Amino acid sequence: MRKIWAVIRREFLERVRSKWFIIGTVLGPVLMFGIIAIPILVGERGGNRTVAVLDATTTGFGERLTGMLNGVGTVIAQRVITDAPSLEDAAASLARRVELEAIDGFIIVTDAVVDDGRAEYRGRNVTSLTDMQTLQVILRNAVFSERLRREGVDPSLVARARIPVNLTTKKIRDGKVTEESGEASFFLAYAMWFLLYIAILLYGIQVMGSVVEEKTTRVIEVLTSSLRPFQLLAGKILGVGAVGLLQLGIWVGFGKLMLDQRVRVASLLGQGEEAAALANLSLPEVSFMTIAVFLAYFLLGYFLYAAMFAAVAAMVNSEAEARQAQTPVVMLLVIPTVLMIGILNNPDGSMAVALSLIPFTSPIGMPVRWAATPIPLTELAGSLAILVATVVAITWIAGRIYRVGILMYGKKPGIRELIRWVRG
Amino acid sequence: MSNDAVVALQGITKRYAGHIAVRELTLNVPRGAVYGLLGPNGAGKTTTLRMIMSIILPDEGRIVLFGESGSGQDLSQRIGYLPEERGLYRKMKVLDLLVFLAEIKGVDRRVARRSGRYWLERLGLADWTEKKIDDLSKGMQQKVQFIATVLHRPELVILDEPFAGLDPVNTQVIKDIVVELSKSGTTILFSTHIMQQAEKLCDAVCIIARGQKVLDGGLAEVKRTHGGRHVVIALEPGGSVDRVLRDRTLVLQANDYGNYAEVELVDGVDPQRLLHGLIEAGARLTRFEVAEPSLEKIFIDKVGAEAATARAVEETNA
Repeated sequence: MRKIWAVIRREFLERVRSKWFIIGTVLGPVLMFGIIAIPILVGERGGNRTVAVLDATTTGFGERLTGMLNGVGTVIAQRVITDAPSLEDAAASLARRVELEAIDGFIIVTDAVVDDGRAEYRGRNVTSLTDMQTLQVILRNAVFSERLRREGVDPSLVARARIPVNLTTKKIRDGKVTEESGEASFFLAYAMWFLLYIAILLYGIQVMGSVVEEKTTRVIEVLTSSLRPFQLLAGKILGVGAVGLLQLGIWVGFGKLMLDQRVRVASLLGQGEEAAALANLSLPEVSFMTIAVFLAYFLLGYFLYAAMFAAVAAMVNSEAEARQAQTPVVMLLVIPTVLMIGILNNPDGSMAVALSLIPFTSPIGMPVRWAATPIPLTELAGSLAILVATVVAITWIAGRIYRVGILMYGKKPGIRELIRWVRG
Repeated sequence: MSNDAVVALQGITKRYAGHIAVRELTLNVPRGAVYGLLGPNGAGKTTTLRMIMSIILPDEGRIVLFGESGSGQDLSQRIGYLPEERGLYRKMKVLDLLVFLAEIKGVDRRVARRSGRYWLERLGLADWTEKKIDDLSKGMQQKVQFIATVLHRPELVILDEPFAGLDPVNTQVIKDIVVELSKSGTTILFSTHIMQQAEKLCDAVCIIARGQKVLDGGLAEVKRTHGGRHVVIALEPGGSVDRVLRDRTLVLQANDYGNYAEVELVDGVDPQRLLHGLIEAGARLTRFEVAEPSLEKIFIDKVGAEAATARAVEETNA
C-alpha cells in the first residue's frame, strides 16, 4: 500500500506541477466565461435590427405590420410603399441598401400574404435563428389578426384573443415540484455531458500517455522490479484520477461562481439590461444526490476507460501507435455523445434507458438522463451495479494485458495473442 | 553464514514462442561474492536476471533469494537492479526521481532524500540535483540510474551490462563503487559479454550460451580446470632444448623463437614435467611461467564454436 501511495503521489505531483495542468485549469474557466460572455456581447449587436417592410398591399396591412414590428423593441421597422408593378425595382434598391448595411433586410408583403400566407424576407442575417423566429412570429400574428378582421371580428376581441400563453415548466422530482424549469434541466444535462465527456477522455488519455512514456523511456523495467504491475497500474489510475478531481473541482467551482455572480459579470461587461434578464434565468437545482450521481459515474467511467486506455498503451511501442490504437476506445465514449439529443428528447425512451444501462455508455448516459428526468432508484442501482461489475472485469483483463504488454516491444499483438496474455 | 547462496536458481527454464531463452539453468551466487554471468549476446543473461527480479516468471524451476520464500518484488527492498535497458522519467527532477525510486523500494522519503544527496555529491552531480533528467548528458543519466540501484543499501546488487555505453572515466567510477560495495559485504551479480572486466572483478563466474550453462565456479578454479596448458619459457642463449620441445608425449605444439618459446602442453601433462625435462637438457632458464589462460580464451574455447553453430541451426529452423 505504501508503494501504491508513492506511485499515486508521483503521478499527482508531477502532473499538478506541469505547465499543462496550469494552462488547462486556467483555460477551462476562460472557455466557460466565454460561453457565458460571448452571447451577451454578441447580443448587443443583435439588440436592434433595422428592417424595411416593402409594402405592396392595398389594405393597410403593411402599415399595421410595421407598427407591430416596432412594438417588439428589438426591431426598427420602416415602411416602404410601392405597388405591384414596380415591386421588383423597389426590392432591388432595398437590396443595395442591405449591401451598404443601412438596413439588415426587408420583408416583402403583398395582398397575397393574407390569403395564402406567403411572404418573403431578404437580408444578411437569415441564418440568425432568433431574428427569423421573431419576424415569423410577428408576421404570423399580423396575418392572423388580419384574417379575423376581414371576417368582421371586433379588433378588441382579437387583441384579447392574442394574449399569449406562457407555459412554465417545473420539474417534479421525488414527488415534489421543484423550481427547476425545462430549460434548466436541459442546461444541467448538457453541462453533465460536457464535463463527463471531456474529463473521462482527457484523464483516460493521460493514463495512456503515462503508460506509453514508461514504455518508451524503458523506465518500466526499474518500476516492475520494485512494484507488481497491479500496484503500478492502480497507483497510476488513482493518481491521475486525483488530478482529474482537483481540476474538475476548480472548474465546477469557478463555473458556479460565474453563475452566482452572473449579474455582476454582465454589468461589468456593460450589459445592464441583459444583467436584469440573467438575474431571472432559472438555474437548475443541483442537489446533493445529483452531485453524488455525477461523481460516482465520473469515477467509475474514468476507471473503466483509464483501464482500457492503459491496456491499449501497453500493447503499443510509441505515442504515434497509441493514437491509432485508441480509436476503438474513444468511439465507445463518443456513442452517448452522438445520441445525446435522442436521450434529451425522450429521456424515458428505450434508447435512453439502454444507453444508461450499457456499462460503456452509462457513465455519460445515466447522468444526462438523471438531469433530464426523475429516475427510479432501482434503475439507478441496476445501472451502477452493472457498471461496477464491468469496471472490475475490465480492470482485471486490462491488468493482465498490461502486465505482459509493458515488457513487450516490437510487433503489436493480434487478438489471439491478446487472449493468450489474458489467460497467461 | 558466509557461504550460503544469496541467489539460487534451480533448473529454471523460460520458453518463448519459437525458442527457449533459458534451459534448465542452475547456479548459486554465494553471499558476498562478485559473480559474473557471462555469455555472448542472446545467451539468456538478461532473461535470467529478469526472472531473478520476477519481472518475468520462469516456466519451470525455482528461484530462491536470500534463502527465503518470496518473489523479487517482495524482497525488492534488499535488491538493487540496474536493467540492461536504462530508462528514467525524463521530465522529473534528479533528486525527486531518486526519492521516488527509493520509495517504491520501501525507503522512507526523508532517508531517501538524504542518501540521494550523498550519492549525487559523491558522483559529482551535486549541481544537478534540481535539474530535469532531460537536461543531463547520457553519462550523467547512467550515473543517476546507478545511484537509483544502490541508494537503498541493498544486500544484493544485480547489474545487467553495467559498463555498456560508459566512457573510460565513468567506467572507472562505477567499477570503484562496485569494488567498495563488495568490500562492505554486498553481493554483486552482474552480466557482461566483455571478459576482461569480468576477469578483473569477479570471484566466481557462470558462462552460459544458448540459454544453457557451459561452466561455472570460482574464477581460480575455472582457470585451473580449463587451462594451465600454456607455458612460456625464456633461456640464456647457447642451450638447446629442441629435443624436449619435439617430445610429442609432452608438447602438443611449440612456438620457438630460439631464446623464447610459447609451449602448449599435451592435455593432462603436469607443467613440472616440462620443467624437469628442460633442466635435464641443460637449459639455463631465465623464465618459466605457467600462463593462466585469460577468461576470454576460455570463453572463446567453450562458447565460440558452439555459439556459431547454434546460430546456424536456429536460422535453418526459422
